[in-house]
Amino acid sequence: MIRLDNVSFYYEKQPVLNHVSLFVKKGQKLGVLGESGCGKSTLLKLMAGLCRPSSGTVTVDGESEPARICQKVSVVMQTPMLLPMTIRENITMGHEYTEEWIRHVCEEANLTKWIDTLPKGIDTYLGDRSDELSGGQAQRVAIARAMCKDAGILLLDEPTSALDPENAAAVLEALERYAKNRTLVHVTHRPEHLKAYDIVMNMDEL
Amino acid sequence: MPVLRILLKRNRFWVMAAVVAALASNMSQIFYIFLIGDLVNKIEGRQAIESSFVALICIFMLSNALTLYVDQYVGRITAEKMAHSLRMAYARRLVKRAAGEGNACDAGAVMSVAQNELAQADAYLGNTFFQITGKAFSGVLVLIFLLFQDALLTMTLLIPTIFILFYVVWSGRRLSAMVNAAQDEKNRMNRVAYGTIHAFPVIRIFGGEDLSRKAFDAAITRWVRPASGLGRRSALYNTLSGIVSMIPLLLLLLAGSGMVIEGHIMLGTLIVFLNLQKSLTQFVMNLPSWLSGFRVFTANLSRIEIM
Repeated sequence: MIRLDNVSFYYEKQPVLNHVSLFVKKGQKLGVLGESGCGKSTLLKLMAGLCRPSSGTVTVDGESEPARICQKVSVVMQTPMLLPMTIRENITMGHEYTEEWIRHVCEEANLTKWIDTLPKGIDTYLGDRSDELSGGQAQRVAIARAMCKDAGILLLDEPTSALDPENAAAVLEALERYAKNRTLVHVTHRPEHLKAYDIVMNMDEL
Repeated sequence: MPVLRILLKRNRFWVMAAVVAALASNMSQIFYIFLIGDLVNKIEGRQAIESSFVALICIFMLSNALTLYVDQYVGRITAEKMAHSLRMAYARRLVKRAAGEGNACDAGAVMSVAQNELAQADAYLGNTFFQITGKAFSGVLVLIFLLFQDALLTMTLLIPTIFILFYVVWSGRRLSAMVNAAQDEKNRMNRVAYGTIHAFPVIRIFGGEDLSRKAFDAAITRWVRPASGLGRRSALYNTLSGIVSMIPLLLLLLAGSGMVIEGHIMLGTLIVFLNLQKSLTQFVMNLPSWLSGFRVFTANLSRIEIM
């Protein structure tokens, strides 16, 4: 469950969000539309607990403290934000998971085929190879990371914006399959990606 | 080196003046020391010392101080003139390019690309270029002069210096390899730090604080090893270098005093050698570092490509 009550956000005294209220029930899918700069990424950051609202309240699964909200959600950003570490560390972020679970999320994210071609497999160090990774491969690692956390809420911030149409379709399909029984918030500027969503909010109309 | 050639050509008056001043300063120093040696020889040979000879020594003493001052003064002006030509030519090119492309942002981008090279080339011109040129001049002149004074004693000085030169080259290469290794690890550490800052939202959401801290600690540990090794090895090589650099002087003292006792040379000649040996040995021993500094300077100039 995600609730925003009269939330405003100012960046250097400039209003980015003004008195926004919304409610997303558990298992619902919210699509957020809008042009660049309308504040949709800020809205997602507030839902992810990455920033504190200037006024109003953000509540995610009963938590309103940003540090606690972070624990409740999983996010896929526009850029994959990979760390200069191994693929395994980028997926697990240092937490203990079973090999089966890691293998499962890699399969769900369409990573297995690529990982199997690497000499060190999932333990390949990405730091020196990040330039060799395609946008699709890097984003799939980010998706595997989001799936691995197994949070009840999945937040997507234009996860396919840097990908070619073929890769974008595969990535979206994997994400929507994973989010089937979860709360999903998808921020995008492409309405065709939000056809099957329960709520679609257009930020330009706020 | 087309840029350097153009810089020298554009400031040819000052460059010539600097060359003449360096030549005059070194010649004056050599003759002054030569006269001092001659004075000692005259005292040793119990010869009469004429007042005109003492006056000549005084003149050379004054001219030595004066030419040294002029040399440094003209050298600095010439360096500044060349650095100014470099900066102005670069600014002209920048304005022309920005205006031609009608893009003010481009000026900033071009400036940031070349400013590092420009600053380094500027500093080298101002602080090092004419100093090195002067020392190279001095080294060559002293070598020729000493060979005319006594070829055997000059070789006694020169041959161990050449061996030390090889040691300097060898240790320089070893240190350079270690510097590169330390630099690689430092870059890796910076990449981890940059990656951590860049991926901060992801670290926070996925609870990766421990992982990133461990990765950073490991990167620091990996960097500390070659960096401290470099410090230790550098101290060792430099200490050894300091010790072995005394060998030519010791050999000169040993062989020279023996030759004085045997009567092959006079005490004044040995004094001339003792006074001038530093110009020669420093020139030979510092040759590799000067050459590598000059290579960096010309590489910076070629990257600026301003004229």
